[in-house]
Amino acid sequence: MKRLTFYFVLLTTLSLLLAACSPAAPAAAPTPTTVPTAALLTFTDGLKRTVTLPAPAARIISLAPSNTEILFAIGAAAQVIGRDDFSDYPAEAKDLPDIGGSNGKYDLEKIASLKPDLVIASELNTADQVKALEDLKITVYYLSNPPDLEGMFANLITVGELSGHKAQAATLVDTLRQRVKAVQDKVSGVANRPTIFYELDATDPSKPYTAGPTTFIDQLIQISGGVNIAGSLSTAWPQISLEEILVKNPDMILLGDAAYGNSPAQVKQRAGWTGLKAVKDNNIQVFDDNLVSRPGPRLVDGLEILAKLIHPEVFK
Amino acid sequence: MKNTARPYMSSFLLLVGALLLSVAVGSVFIPPITLFRLFINGVAPAARPLAEDTATLSTILFSLRLPRTALVAMTGAALAGSGTAYQGLFRNPLADPYLIGVASGAGLGAVLAMSANWPYTSLGMLGVPLAAFLGAVLTVAAVYQLARVRRTIPTTNLILAGVAVSSFATAITSFLMINSTGEMRRALVWLLGGSTMTGWQPVVALLPYITLGLGTLVTMGHALNVLQFGDEQAQQLGLPVQRVRVTIILAASLTTAAAVSFSGVIGFVGLIVPHLVRLVWSSDYRHMLPLSMISGAGLLLIADVLARVVMAPQELPVGIITALAGAPFFLWVLRRAKQQHFW
Amino acid sequence: MLEIKNLCVGYGERLVLHGLNLELPAGQILGVIGPNGAGKSTLIRTLSGILAPQSGQMHFMGHNLPQLTPTQRARLIAVVPQANQLPPAFTAWETVLMGRTAHLNWLGQTSAHDEEIVRQAMQRTDTLELADRRVGELSGGEQQRLLLARALAQAAPLLLMDEPTAHLDLQYQYNLLQQVRDLVDRERLAVMIVLHDLNLVSRYTDRVALLVKGELRALGSPKEVLTADLLSQAYHTPLQVLSLEKSGLPYILPPVG
Repeated sequence: MKRLTFYFVLLTTLSLLLAACSPAAPAAAPTPTTVPTAALLTFTDGLKRTVTLPAPAARIISLAPSNTEILFAIGAAAQVIGRDDFSDYPAEAKDLPDIGGSNGKYDLEKIASLKPDLVIASELNTADQVKALEDLKITVYYLSNPPDLEGMFANLITVGELSGHKAQAATLVDTLRQRVKAVQDKVSGVANRPTIFYELDATDPSKPYTAGPTTFIDQLIQISGGVNIAGSLSTAWPQISLEEILVKNPDMILLGDAAYGNSPAQVKQRAGWTGLKAVKDNNIQVFDDNLVSRPGPRLVDGLEILAKLIHPEVFK
Repeated sequence: MKNTARPYMSSFLLLVGALLLSVAVGSVFIPPITLFRLFINGVAPAARPLAEDTATLSTILFSLRLPRTALVAMTGAALAGSGTAYQGLFRNPLADPYLIGVASGAGLGAVLAMSANWPYTSLGMLGVPLAAFLGAVLTVAAVYQLARVRRTIPTTNLILAGVAVSSFATAITSFLMINSTGEMRRALVWLLGGSTMTGWQPVVALLPYITLGLGTLVTMGHALNVLQFGDEQAQQLGLPVQRVRVTIILAASLTTAAAVSFSGVIGFVGLIVPHLVRLVWSSDYRHMLPLSMISGAGLLLIADVLARVVMAPQELPVGIITALAGAPFFLWVLRRAKQQHFW
Repeated sequence: MLEIKNLCVGYGERLVLHGLNLELPAGQILGVIGPNGAGKSTLIRTLSGILAPQSGQMHFMGHNLPQLTPTQRARLIAVVPQANQLPPAFTAWETVLMGRTAHLNWLGQTSAHDEEIVRQAMQRTDTLELADRRVGELSGGEQQRLLLARALAQAAPLLLMDEPTAHLDLQYQYNLLQQVRDLVDRERLAVMIVLHDLNLVSRYTDRVALLVKGELRALGSPKEVLTADLLSQAYHTPLQVLSLEKSGLPYILPPVG
């Protein structure tokens, strides 16, 4: 038995060494074909990789809907030559070539044949996929999810630098900051803070999925002057029991899953939900979850809509 | 088997055809002539660099298609070969390579590894496959120990222990997945099968295992034939049954674990290909083993091509294709077999 | 020459064979009889290496049996089991060829010599014309003869047969046993055969061992062992033993009246 284990460890080590030293090891950065000049753009991305570009990218492929929205928002639309399956905003994005993305698999060959000079990845992508693109000699920038609104603003600037629209990005960030401040000012004077239940998925109505602490939904509800009843739970995307909802008895129910066929009328028919205050008061609102699930400029749109729903008396 | 050469020629032809298909078909169809030119250029680069378009094709071919083709072929051979060996060893037509826990163990290892943050280095990249491999091997070792009765391992015990341990591992895996919705999607994709790593790394990492494992199995053909008479008669005929059994389990498990660690859990190949070979060509394990390996490689390549093409640019997990094609085929095999008393 | 001394075989605390002493020289057919549970099959399985003895010794032609590897043992001892659930897909020829396993290398490569032995084994058991047929299509009698051929192909000097005539038509029963008789006379094999039918034992064996509850109650010629006293005691039923005219062999029947 000991001999067997020894041979096994030997074989595994050999295998690992072979694989690690095989020709296509990930390079720190694909070197440009010309002698590096002073105009070289250098970045460190979310995977701590060093990314260099000879010039702002002119042919960009986006691997996530949030990245697509950011690119369009900062005026880089003309440089986007391909996008993933789920990118559907703005409408013009749908006309761009689709390079896959559902089931977590991208059409690498199509990406390669479009000859991009930059691919912007997100946390939807794995390290394997980034390396696969590197092996094809394509420059990849991995844009991590921002933890909060300020982080999202920083991402906008980064994408602006990558695409040569830094000034526009900065202007956009200023505008967005002002809008956020406007919301904060308006609700600062209001004393009551309604309690909100944000529903993500109610396939099992006795244990629906909701957004917990650290999520954008939670943050935006707070900024809007509300209280997320799931904000004190322990994980970011928990299932909350109907009992807990009944105990917390929220003032308002927000249906983030409205796009999947849920409606206020349907909620009223659920067994056990009729006792909720929000149901009796008919305070069930539909909400476009894309506004808060994609870490891009539309987060602020989402914030404004949330604020109007939560404090209609302040936003006329 | 009357004509020994013909089955080998037929299956080899199938493999070669599938290899060509896999290398030619994709987002961009590379016609055979271009393939030929690219190969020549890859092996002996011309003085002038390739035109822009051809350079992209060359990259696609050598960095994507070729390694993928090699990986899929090896995986197909590994699964089919192991499946044949298990069906012979357990004398059970429903046996597949995942019978004693390889799939559930690999899944558990992979999902555990996915929740960790691996550094973006060569070795870090191998984190998930390595964890999957270790998970598979440890699970089989556990099943083996549980099934042991002093120095023998009765087949019934193996199957029962395999089922029990598999259920346990799957339950833990499900629990982990539910508790980290972020990784759930990635885990699901992995569990449905299909390679996530591209390039030559997986091919090189797999090569020692697949060669050793399949090489060992191919030599076990005669022993498997004798085992068909039952453990008692096999032993009375002079076969060292326990030693043979351990060797086959070791070789088949190692091979399957290696294949699964990079390709996820691809079902039906290990179950169906041995039956196909038995139906069309021979029940003699000395021939079934190599024929299954060749046919398995060819058939999985075809399934992989379909997975790429059927809903382009989306790519289906290849496990779905094998299940969709495999299930009705299996029923057909069952009907024919009942008429001909194959078991 | 097979020598068994003080053999004890059992499962844990429960002994199935108690201190068995037996000898079997070459050129002799030993019939083993006794009621169910007497330990007859256990004896066969212990000799062929399936069960390990708890104490006692087994020697054959000078070899200490428990120390042999399965391959070594199979060159000395061949077993003819009952013909049930043979793999149906193999041909008769391939099945008999399995008998050569102990003489082949681990890859199972056969030579012309092996094939000649198989051919002869099948000829002697009248199964050569079945060579290309699948075993699944053969009758019970044909399958049993194949198993005998397979054991012969093993070319082992000791043959163990565990109820080889069960489920066979009368003609095949007689046929098989006559072939065993001829083989033993011609080639000096040693044969230990477990049989249920006491009259077949009387007719075809040289010596008889009567086992009851794991003990050897009697050992001797058929005339000596197949007596009314011994048998009715062993089988817990009254019976009568007649003596056939010409041969003087015992013939066993239930009592008259």
